[in-house]
Parts: sequence; structure tokens; C-alpha cells
Amino acid sequence: MTPINPLTLFFAAIFTNNILLTNFLGLCPFLSISKERRSAMGMGAAVVFVMASTTVLNNWIYYKILLPFGLEHFRYIVFIVVIAAFVQLVEMTVERFFPALYFVLGIFLPLITVNCAIFGASLFMIIRGYNLVQSLAYGAGSGIGWWLAIMAVSAIREKLQKSAKLPKGLEGPAITLIITGLLSLAFLAFSGMIRVQ
Amino acid sequence: MTKQLRSVVYMFLISLFFASLVSAVKYLNEKTIASNQALKLQRIILKVLEIPVEKNTPDDQISRLFMERIKNIQVEDRILYVGYEEDAHTILGYAFPVGGPGFWGPIQGMVGVDPEVTKVLGIAFTKHSETPGLGGRITENWFSSQFKDLPLHPIDGDKKIFYLKPAGTTGAPNELDAITGATNTSSAVEAFLNDDLDYFLKELWTAVEERE
Amino acid sequence: MPNLSSKKEIFLTGLWKDNPVLRQVLGICSTLAVTNLMVNTLVMDAGLIFTVCMSSLTVSLLRNYTPMRIRMMVQTLIIASYVIIVDSIIKAHLPDISEALGPYVALIITNCIIMGRCEAFARNNPPLASFLDGLGMSLGYSLILITIAFIREPLGFGTLLGIRVMPEGFVQWTIMIMAPGAFFTLGILVWISKYILPNAKNGVERK
Repeated sequence: MTPINPLTLFFAAIFTNNILLTNFLGLCPFLSISKERRSAMGMGAAVVFVMASTTVLNNWIYYKILLPFGLEHFRYIVFIVVIAAFVQLVEMTVERFFPALYFVLGIFLPLITVNCAIFGASLFMIIRGYNLVQSLAYGAGSGIGWWLAIMAVSAIREKLQKSAKLPKGLEGPAITLIITGLLSLAFLAFSGMIRVQ
Repeated sequence: MTKQLRSVVYMFLISLFFASLVSAVKYLNEKTIASNQALKLQRIILKVLEIPVEKNTPDDQISRLFMERIKNIQVEDRILYVGYEEDAHTILGYAFPVGGPGFWGPIQGMVGVDPEVTKVLGIAFTKHSETPGLGGRITENWFSSQFKDLPLHPIDGDKKIFYLKPAGTTGAPNELDAITGATNTSSAVEAFLNDDLDYFLKELWTAVEERE
Repeated sequence: MPNLSSKKEIFLTGLWKDNPVLRQVLGICSTLAVTNLMVNTLVMDAGLIFTVCMSSLTVSLLRNYTPMRIRMMVQTLIIASYVIIVDSIIKAHLPDISEALGPYVALIITNCIIMGRCEAFARNNPPLASFLDGLGMSLGYSLILITIAFIREPLGFGTLLGIRVMPEGFVQWTIMIMAPGAFFTLGILVWISKYILPNAKNGVERK
């Protein structure tokens, strides 16, 4: 049996199975933060970093600690605590040693704990039985995919705000959802998959 | 200080309470989950051996049918299920688990073959994490039912047992429709299923014949 | 203790007036994904309603004892525990659906509505009111998701709850099964709701 190539996984997670556009994960921060590009950039970067690190961390904990001790039914609690603790740790480190970076990422870090995409990536990785390297590829790919999606939508929204005249009720979340739908449709083309009969 | 200590003790007590609650629920459900899984396996095996079972057949009837008609034998390190006719001694076919890496994660399935091992009786994919609506369609009936009556022969050179080709371009009995839009899943299925069938034909089959 | 009419008020606020999906666009992540089949939607909604109500109730019962500093941790623990219970029950009694839902049941933990209700309401209100608030909010949420499933399943598969509803020869809209269909449906629902919901403010985007 040949295991799934981590590189394939990495690119698939960015394009063909974007965690936001096909699995709907991380939608809450996505809707509120995609208003402007600057914050989208910061949040996206923070998500890439945290997602890649926590999938690897959770993978290690699951296979080396939880499974051997038969505690796998506690995994949801453990994963969420690991993510929260990791975010806290990163926040403190960044604040202390990289004040410039903290200025960009700082306010987004606490928000990440409730980003379901991060938790989702950890769950998918366990269900699909990835090893450590595959988890890293999957986590990093999903993070970058999320980043790409939020950057694209925030750029469209900025342009839209300047130039488009929208019907009253369509402003805000409604149009964002429709843009996201179009983007999701566009991403389907990456796999050459869609066939509307 | 006492305030901090109070927080720690409080957190500890809360954790203890919820941990025991979760464990209790898990303990109560464990048996049901295990029996559900066993039952699912039994249904699948009956299905790939073409022993008629309705979707709404009660569970105890399934188990009884399984006990009467199926025996499992250990061949090398694998389990092989032998299906019998209603008279309980004419062999109706063999079923064995297959599986391999799909596009997103492992795919598992079960294959049933006739007693002379010349053709496939039925096939079912039981576990996968492919994209719903695309690769996930391997569990749909139209896909798995194509494998019925597929002629079997050991792989010779690079001539495979079956090929998955784009729908509409298939002709020969060993060419089956691939899933439109799920090229990766289709080629993964083609690869591991050919391998597993070949392994069964070459290795397991000789072992079974030697035993009898 | 709030009187009877204010209790009704609390319940209705969540259900309709301040609907979490339409007005706040919160917590859709974990559930939107399963709205292409009505059965899955109903099971997910049931799980969510249970979790929101029980978490709100528990947080409210403990509200006078929980130290401020660690309240988020306590809330997360409570929510995660209830979700594990839900997951385990679904796995035991509805194995097929559990398989189809995959990790999405567990993702209820990160559904912003639950934490949001614990923080915004249950932490400062008596148990019964918190329970009703949770019930109203989660029912309001379920209502919208059921509406989405009601649109997606017939158009995408030609069925509703697995029973054929569309006439023979109906061409299935594959797009409705897939992700874009969910985004479009929800976007249009939010748009329409701006005209229907009482005193709608424009561009309501609260966290």
C-alpha cells in the first residue's frame, strides 16, 4: 500500500478541497474579518501558522498519548484545550519578542481559538488516519487555502464597497455569502470536476 | 493566593465531574456501538454474496441468517468468509475484505466471488473519506453494481483485471464506468482493487485449495 | 425572576426577532455542510439544540461559583462534554447517519452560538431563563437550516427525506448538492430576511 503523497495532500487542501469553500469551516471569523484586506491578511497568516502547528501537535498527542492509554473518547476536549493553550502561548511569545508582528497579528490570535477550521483540521486528520508528515501537509495546506479564500473575498468586498450600488438588504453578510459561493464555484474548476447536467 | 487555589480546585472538580459523565455515557453506549458494527459487517457480507436481505429486515434475523449461511476461516493472516446455500453445505461463494489508500484517506470494502473464483458476485465499499457527491459516490449502487459478473483472472504482465474508464468510452466486460469528476478516487480504487483481487487469486486461493 | 410574559419574550427573541443565523450570521460553519440532506440536518439540529440548552443551563447553574478568570475554560469544558455525549448517542443509535456526518457533530463544539449564548446570556441570568434563551436561539437556528435543506435536497437530489418529490425526468441541480449551492441559498435567505424581519437594521454584523 502506498500512502497518500503529502505533497498531493498539500495542494489538494489548498485548491480542490479548500476547507472554507468546500467544508464551510471557519465561516464566522471569515464573514466579519473579510471586510478589509489588511485584517484579512493578518488573520490569514495567523490561521496558517496555528493550523499547521496544532494539527501536528494534536496528531502526536492522539497517537502517542491518547490512543495508548485508551483515552481517545476525550479527544475533542484535549484537542480544543491544546489549540487554546497553543494560541495563548504564541500570543505571549509574539508579544514579548516580536512586538512588530504582534501589532499585526495580536488582535487576531485570541479569535482563532473559536475558529472551527482549526479544530476541524484536527478532526479530519484523525478520521482520515494521517501520519505526522501528512498532518503537517494537510494543516499547512488547509491554512493557506483559508488565507487565499479570505484574501480574495476581502479584495472583492473592498472594490464592491467603492464602486457597486447594491440593493439595500443585500449589503453586508448576504453579498459576502454570494461572493463566497461564486468563489467556491470557481475553485471547483481546479479539479476539473464540476458537471452541471 | 487562596483565590488562585480556589480556581484550581474548582476546575479540577468540574473536570472530574464531566470526565466521569462522559466516561459513563461512553460505557453505556459501547455495547450498542460494537453490536451495530458487527451487524453492519454481517449485512455487507450477505449482500456481496447475493444472499437476499431487505433493508428493513430486523437485526436478529440478519444475525441468524449470517450464523446459518456464513462460516469464517482464517487463511494466512486474513479472514475469509465462506457463504453456503440454504442446504448449508454447498458453497455459494467467498467474501473477503479489500482496501487501500483513496484520495483523501483509506477506503475499505468487501468483495464476494463465486465458488470457482471465475467472477465477482458483488462488491461494497464500506468506509471512505472521499468528497461527498464526487469520490464519495463509490458507495452508490450504480458504481458498485457494475462489478457484478466481472470476469476474474490473475494479473498477467500489465493486463489488469478491470479498468475504470470515463463513462461512455467503455466497451469490454472488464471496462467499467469511472466516477465523472473524481479521477483520483477512481484511479485509487482501480489500483488497490486490482491488487487485492490479484492477491486473492494467486495467494489465498491456493491456500484455500490446499486446506480442502 | 422574570415573569411569564418576559420568558416568552426571551424565547421568541432567539427564535425570530434576533435570529442567530439571519441577523447575526453566526455559527453556520458546522451545520451548513450537512444541509444537502434533510435527515442529516435534522439530526445535527437536534444535537445542537441539546448542546445549547444544556450548556446554557449548566453555565447558569454554576454562574455564582465559577471564578471569572477561568470561566471560558469552564464553558469550553462543559460544551465539549455535552457534544461528546451527543456524538456517542448518535454513534450508538444512528450508525449510518453518524458515518455520514463524520466530524461535523464534533464541530458543534466550536459553533459560536453556544459559547456566545453562555457568554452573553447564561452567565448573568437564572437557569430557567437561560434554558429558554438557548432553546429559542437554537430553534431559530434550526429553522433556517431546515429551510436551506428544504431547498437544497429537492433541487439537488430530487428527494425530500429520501422520498422522491420531484416529477420523473427532473434534471437534478448538481450544484445544489455541492458547496456553492449552500452559500447561494443562505446568501439569498439573509437578503430576503432583511425585508421581512421586524425593524431590520442594515448591515447588522455583530460578533
